[in-house]
Amino acid sequence: MKKTLLTMVSMLLVTGMLAGCGNSDKVNSANGGEKANSGDKVYKIAYIARAQSDSFAAWLANAVKEEAKKYPDIKLEVFDGQANDDKENSMIENAITNKFDLVIVQPNNGEAQRPYVEKVIKDGKFAITTNARITGIEGASSVDADPYEQAGVNARAALDQIPQNAKVVVLNGPSGNFHADKRRESWQKEFFDKRPDVQIVGEQIANWNKDEAMKYMEDWVQANDKIDAVISMNDNMAAGAVEAVKDNSKFDGMLAYGVDGTLEAFQLIKEGKMTSTCLQNAFELAEKLLDTSSKLLTGAEKQVDTDIGNPLITKDNVDEYIALLEKAEALK
Amino acid sequence: MKEINWSQFWSTFKKTYSIYLVLLALFIVCSFANPNFLSVNNLTNISTQLAVTTILAFGQTLLIISGMLDLSQGSVLALSGVFAVSAYKATGSFTVAIITGIMTGIVCNILNAVMVSTFKTPPFIATLAMLTMARGVALLFTKGQNILQLGDFTVLGQGSIGFVPIPVIFLIIFAVITWYILRHTKFGRSLFAVGGNEEAAVASGINVHKVKYTAFIINGIFVGMAGILFMSRVNAGLPNGAINYEFTALTAAIIGGTSFSGGIGSAGGTLAGAFIVGFLDNIMNLTNVDSYMQQIIRGAIIALAVIYDIRSKNRRTKSTLGRIEDKGSRRKGKGKGITESHK
Repeated sequence: MKKTLLTMVSMLLVTGMLAGCGNSDKVNSANGGEKANSGDKVYKIAYIARAQSDSFAAWLANAVKEEAKKYPDIKLEVFDGQANDDKENSMIENAITNKFDLVIVQPNNGEAQRPYVEKVIKDGKFAITTNARITGIEGASSVDADPYEQAGVNARAALDQIPQNAKVVVLNGPSGNFHADKRRESWQKEFFDKRPDVQIVGEQIANWNKDEAMKYMEDWVQANDKIDAVISMNDNMAAGAVEAVKDNSKFDGMLAYGVDGTLEAFQLIKEGKMTSTCLQNAFELAEKLLDTSSKLLTGAEKQVDTDIGNPLITKDNVDEYIALLEKAEALK
Repeated sequence: MKEINWSQFWSTFKKTYSIYLVLLALFIVCSFANPNFLSVNNLTNISTQLAVTTILAFGQTLLIISGMLDLSQGSVLALSGVFAVSAYKATGSFTVAIITGIMTGIVCNILNAVMVSTFKTPPFIATLAMLTMARGVALLFTKGQNILQLGDFTVLGQGSIGFVPIPVIFLIIFAVITWYILRHTKFGRSLFAVGGNEEAAVASGINVHKVKYTAFIINGIFVGMAGILFMSRVNAGLPNGAINYEFTALTAAIIGGTSFSGGIGSAGGTLAGAFIVGFLDNIMNLTNVDSYMQQIIRGAIIALAVIYDIRSKNRRTKSTLGRIEDKGSRRKGKGKGITESHK
């Protein structure tokens, strides 16, 4: 038995080492195969993703990898924070130890990563925080989309679309999540405070998940004869709510709002089942991240804080964005 | 004629059927709490929503009875589901999709059994390892993105035969299978024996390895099918779906009277446990109870169920000990009498 165990462990170790070699190949290939002349300086960037299991984070990480190929003087490695503060913080520390020239952090929880990003700066390296930015770190740069505005463009459009005395349901992201909280705050200030006639008949945390949102919606449908609109803090949950009533003719004219710009939301908007969403464009974020990195590393800038746009996607412009996401699919 | 001992009858009745009484009481309370609760639509709705987690709970029941558990159910469900969805998209065949989903569940659970039974790893740790691995494979396979446009695949999760939703039909089938296994098969009796006292089971000639492997394989079939129903219901292949579903399943099994110490549990109890959780969730949503409050109530219910489980077990142990002592003293008494009469 012991021998079998030993053989299995050795095999696992060998597999791990081979996988490691495979990874380093991948990093080189992301860099166009080390095309820079041996005399030229090649800058090392560590991109620490919040969690590769989060579909948006995975899209952003892939887009960043692709974008890095355009810069022959940059070698970028992606690390997975696994939605765990402790792991993400250790990865930032490792990046410092391994002498990366610049560290890009997509925080799992901004405040938990703050001291570690500060350590990067203290060590004389560059740091960029993204999606969401950690504000107020002296010397650190940031590239982000503004979650307040992402929800705000939907909320302002909804002011005219949601009928008088409407009954609405609200689907929230995880409590304490920066984007979840800011998006909800935006709906409150930009819509609910201005439309006291609108009644919230159900509000729950569905943790960004389609299945959880679907279940809540199925229950709300039983308790309410009419729901005029679904206000969701992301597209996944909006899609879940729409799925729950898709065969129910009573809810045919129901409005549904989301944020993120997933392919599923675009398809639902095209079919007229969802009203609008705001695209958080990972390609644009990736472009700005690499551009900012290059400027910092070559000394063109000392600190950069920049935002991407918040386009509202409706039935009128959805086709051009579907084409954009099909490009993202091709990246996979 | 022998007189009926009502207090004894009531205590036996309570011991056997208490979970169903709780379910009935909750049903009555919910009916008064919100008029929509009793509507046919709502009750069908609850049953459909419960189908996936209850099928998982039946898998947990078989494992817990034999002294094990499976923490990887949610992840393996997601993996089976995304594989089944991809197989359907590639071939357009329900048979291929179902076989793919179920085989994925079986393979993962054979690995669980290898770790638990062959390498003697505690089930908690072994299945925790599988939880991470299966989720990793699902995410790697889909690159973290949802699989969309499932077409007719949604029939399994959203369709009905007559007025009965297909997931509910699957729920009934799996309930009957679990009940039959536990009540009418040699394997079922072996599960209770292994969970009750493994050494005694070995001594009485039960092949414990075989029992554990079989229990995990059956759990794999349940999880695989649950994965297919789940993805079909949400009309997407969600590599991140069903997170923490193993805990909902464990909750249903424990509330239903399955004992974590092994050797005790039933299909009916688990079904009742699942419906208790389902009724509670439903009524809290119908009456719009705050999210945080819902979590507190759910936690409190689990705590109460476990306390009840431990107390009733202590009572049973005490009464068994009492009976043994009683018999012992009577024997002693008899012995004394004999000796005395010899004098």
